[in-house]
Amino acid sequence: MTPAARPAARRITALVGSVALVLAAAGCGGGEGSASATGKVTSITALDYYTDAREHAQWSERLTACGRTAGVTVEHRSVPGASLVPKVLQQASSRTLPDLLMLDNPDVQQIAQTGALTPLDRYGIDTSGFDKGVLSAGTYKGKVYGLAPTVSTIALFYNKDMLSEAGVTVPRTWDELERAAARLTRPGRYGMAVDANATFEGTWQFLPFLWSNGGDEGRLDTPQAAQALQLWVDLVKSGSMSKSVLNWTQADVHDQFVAGKTAMMLNGPWRISEMAESRNLHWGVAPIPVRSQGQTLVTPLGGEVWTVPRNPSEARREKAARVLACLNDPTHMLAVAKQYFTVPSRTAVASRYTEQVPAMRAFVKSVAQARARTGELGVGWPRAATGIYTAVQAALTGEQTPQEALRHAQQIATGS
Amino acid sequence: MKRTPTRGRPYTIAGIVLLALMLFPVYWMVNASLQPAGDVLRGAWFPLHPDFSGYATAVHDQGRALATSLVVALGSTVLSLALAAPAAYALALLRPRGATPVLFGILVTQMVPGIVVANALYGAYNDLGLLNSHLGLVLADSTAGVPFSTIILRSSMQGVPREIIEAARVDGAGRLRVFRSVVLPLSTNALVTAGLFSFLFAWSDFLFALTLNTTETVRPITLGIYDYVGAHSNQWNAIMATAVLAALPAAALLVVAQRHVRAGITSGAVD
Amino acid sequence: MKDGAEDKAAPGRGRAAVRARLWEPIARWMFLAPAVAYLLLFFGYPIVENIVMSFQQYTTTTFYTGAAPFVGLRNYTGILSSDLFARALPTTVLFTAGSLAGQFVLGLALALFFHRRFPLGRVLRSLLLLPWLLPLVVSATTWRWMLDTDTGVVNHTLRGLHLLSSGVPWLTGTSQALASVTVVNIWVGIPFNTAILYGGLQDIPAHLYEAAKLDGAGPLTSFRRITWPLLRPVAGVVLVLGVVYTLKVLDIILIVTGGGPADATETIATRSYELSFQQFEFGRGAALGNVLVVISLLFAVVHLRANRRALEAGSTGP
Repeated sequence: MTPAARPAARRITALVGSVALVLAAAGCGGGEGSASATGKVTSITALDYYTDAREHAQWSERLTACGRTAGVTVEHRSVPGASLVPKVLQQASSRTLPDLLMLDNPDVQQIAQTGALTPLDRYGIDTSGFDKGVLSAGTYKGKVYGLAPTVSTIALFYNKDMLSEAGVTVPRTWDELERAAARLTRPGRYGMAVDANATFEGTWQFLPFLWSNGGDEGRLDTPQAAQALQLWVDLVKSGSMSKSVLNWTQADVHDQFVAGKTAMMLNGPWRISEMAESRNLHWGVAPIPVRSQGQTLVTPLGGEVWTVPRNPSEARREKAARVLACLNDPTHMLAVAKQYFTVPSRTAVASRYTEQVPAMRAFVKSVAQARARTGELGVGWPRAATGIYTAVQAALTGEQTPQEALRHAQQIATGS
Repeated sequence: MKRTPTRGRPYTIAGIVLLALMLFPVYWMVNASLQPAGDVLRGAWFPLHPDFSGYATAVHDQGRALATSLVVALGSTVLSLALAAPAAYALALLRPRGATPVLFGILVTQMVPGIVVANALYGAYNDLGLLNSHLGLVLADSTAGVPFSTIILRSSMQGVPREIIEAARVDGAGRLRVFRSVVLPLSTNALVTAGLFSFLFAWSDFLFALTLNTTETVRPITLGIYDYVGAHSNQWNAIMATAVLAALPAAALLVVAQRHVRAGITSGAVD
Repeated sequence: MKDGAEDKAAPGRGRAAVRARLWEPIARWMFLAPAVAYLLLFFGYPIVENIVMSFQQYTTTTFYTGAAPFVGLRNYTGILSSDLFARALPTTVLFTAGSLAGQFVLGLALALFFHRRFPLGRVLRSLLLLPWLLPLVVSATTWRWMLDTDTGVVNHTLRGLHLLSSGVPWLTGTSQALASVTVVNIWVGIPFNTAILYGGLQDIPAHLYEAAKLDGAGPLTSFRRITWPLLRPVAGVVLVLGVVYTLKVLDIILIVTGGGPADATETIATRSYELSFQQFEFGRGAALGNVLVVISLLFAVVHLRANRRALEAGSTGP
């Protein structure tokens, strides 16, 4: 997969657009949406976790465009990923939820359970033709609460120059990964980087290793899970991976990679457009290594879902639903996919996408096989996810062996 | 002679070295804020070619947060002094029945962790509609300023000579007049000290800003920095520039009002 | 008839006097009432409310539905028997004890240093207060960045001096992280300790030292025989206040380590915050908060007694 170069003109337009938007946002001040005297809704609020300056601007642009079709302006806010769910729960309790809310797909069922979201069928939104995995993630008790324009997963990114300089081929198995990472490590540079922080993002990055090796979130204290965790422990212990992975977010991992401080990293394709801008960075992307060659790679299904929270104003909800429908229509789906190198979540659009962007064909296939995190445990997922990142942290710091850490994780997951 | 004799220059040099060590983090913050965006990860020792883009980003992103902090801190200062000055007058000079338990209560407030207050206030504010409001934050932030100011003003007012008050009373001044025209003017120093510290307490507040805000409407600078750290890991110059801006009031006070700062620290502890 | 005249006048004046007598305490209380009302609302109410909440079960849906069933002591038994508490308690003790020892020893050393008069001494002493005045968020953010394993200036310097080849995992090793947050808290607390102890040193009459010198006492002896005994009341106050303030610390830990890695820097205060405001289990958060209040109150008693001693010591001084 090679990154498509972004035309300079478009970049400048985006920049000008974003500056105008930021100025507009600073000008209107108040966080609450406004309604004119006749009670007609003229503006709604939207909340997501696209805090990265560029990503935020791009989404502002898209929300504005979709807002226009619904006849409203959209006040767009972003909070850091790890604080989105606490924020939403807090807002639910204080009745200050936004009109339009983005959630990471495994969080939808948990939030829907609190009663803070409204099912989308009442707004007459078409949910047919969506990829089953992401649709199921947005479904709670038989009703669809959220739709994601595109889906994605994570892969192994590597610095071509560093690999060829060290005479290392792209690793396909864990052994190869460990050897490659060790050989790529230099003073001031690590061979490999992942996000192992104590949030669901850390869990998400560990899942490909857990799942591909036959591990399962329903039963965490298995030898398969311990092997996967041991791999991460070994990478840190051998010095191929910085101990700072314990604190890094995916954005930090990306920054390290771009700054040349790590030769390989685990990350998502939505970073590609940004990486494409660093001229001196020659990078490639490959499937995440599995333990032994015969194993099938199983990655988690990523994708941010848009929802309509339960707010008192019917009129505002209607407007928000129309913006949501617009974000998920084939045109915008395709545009988002091209912008972030993700995959349209309607299967028909996805196949059109592979025709237009053949380089994404392999990726489209891998995403189709990706596994939804809430698929097995439903609302029980957050507990298991908490158990997993707790175990990763305990094992990487050396507090516990992988076996002990996972036994503890299983206790957390089952709430005992 | 209360003081030990004057020592010479070696002590001054040693003092400067000690101070430099202690204030190194402050220097490092300023230094980092003046580096260009990419270079901060490498970290030069001196800002030889100061780059102000970090400040431009900081002011652009956090300008409103700075304004919010200013409004909240000023509000808390006014509220703290308005509540504390009459209370201190009563405790120092009027001594009504029950003054001792009140004084005891004020000392006990120092033992109450902020998280306990925030825990309960969240529910109450939720019912009263005070979440995400300037007023709510001013009221909560004054939990530091009110007890502190009361203690400081009380010890200052205890020093007001009785004769002056008696003289005013003989002239027919009521309690309020005595308070307004005699006691308050004589307590200017303590008022300034109490006001400065109330301002700093509210300006520095992080806990209440974090827990009593659920939207972005009222977001002080401390929260701005906290969110920044989570979101812009590659823009340390902007983060540090924001930190410098947030540190300015404290630094300015130290330069302009040294005497009051010292008075505040000592009287806050021993009384 | 003189008596009668007086009797005639008396009722008016008497009523006024009675009214004045009744009015008098009320008028005095009018000055105190607003502050007392505020303190009751913002300290009294939270304490009572926390006790009530700690017997209820709050969930993420509680604020939506208003349902928070009474669960008796279950929050307390759950919290106190959990391994979260079993880890947070020793962490809290280590953090507090370490902070106190560091702040006090270094604070005292600096106070003794500045007690000597030398050019620029006053100015330097004032500038020393800066770390204490800065918003904790600012200090913590700066330190977090300075302590970064790979890019932080601390490891950079250690490597430059060839003291070690690889970096110390200041924020990513479990024991190092606890040491790091303790160091940051010490740094923040030194100025306060120095200022108070310096004040205490100033109150020790210089002639005592001169007399000791005439008796041939060295600096160590005069510290042991004069400085320390006379400084003890002030030292007591500083230490107890240190305990009370350190137990409450939340900002520094949340920003520098976020409680990690692997929960190594979770104290009772940060746990209480997380239970309430991350997991929305306000009942359990309140229970843990109350445990913290009880610990603080134990020290409050010590504080008030130490305070009285300090004041008495102060008033019997020169």
